[in-house]
Amino acid sequence: MTNRLKIERAIQDLTQEALAERIGVSRQTINSIEKGRYVPSTVLALKLSAEFGKPVNELFFLEKSDSN
Amino acid sequence: MKKIIEYDRRLFRRLRKFHLPHSWKKVGLTIAIAAFVLMLVKRFVDEPEWVKPLLANIMLIGLLIISISKEKVEDEMMASIRAQSYGIAFVSGVIYAIVQPYVNFGVAWLLGSENPNTDMSYFQVLVFMLIVQLLFFKQFKRACL
Repeated sequence: MTNRLKIERAIQDLTQEALAERIGVSRQTINSIEKGRYVPSTVLALKLSAEFGKPVNELFFLEKSDSN
Repeated sequence: MKKIIEYDRRLFRRLRKFHLPHSWKKVGLTIAIAAFVLMLVKRFVDEPEWVKPLLANIMLIGLLIISISKEKVEDEMMASIRAQSYGIAFVSGVIYAIVQPYVNFGVAWLLGSENPNTDMSYFQVLVFMLIVQLLFFKQFKRACL
């Protein structure tokens, strides 16, 4: 799964630390999600979606490798 | 009946989220290291028989405290990493308990020992599982950074 988190964060001029604080996770978690090392839960994805004011499917995208 | 089921649900939810505060990590580390050092010192000092199992249990308690202490920020990624490390520790602990007596037997046979020690103490297995859990948890955390 890929995501546009880094781009959206840049648009809103937010640091990883600030975003992490807003949604109640660690900076490492935001970093891991951005790098695709961690796939967030539905709850966390919805929190991010609310934070950026965009639907979840405009933030996260499935890849070919996710099909099986 | 519904009340009992609801009580069970609440209890399990609380148990699932149970962790000691982050500051307890240092307490656990101190206990485990102190017990380990005393176990080493005990080898050179004549102590009563009951001291060895007592120190072993204290060391296990120290490692357990480290294992169940929260991280600075305990979020869902930490919970996921923690669950993975417990899974690996459980499977490797079972494999260790099965394989280790045969390894002991093989080594004893190679060395020509007549009475190979193939016993497996609970301390060996538990300390192995706790150390594997802590190492994998640390490694997974590092891999996510």
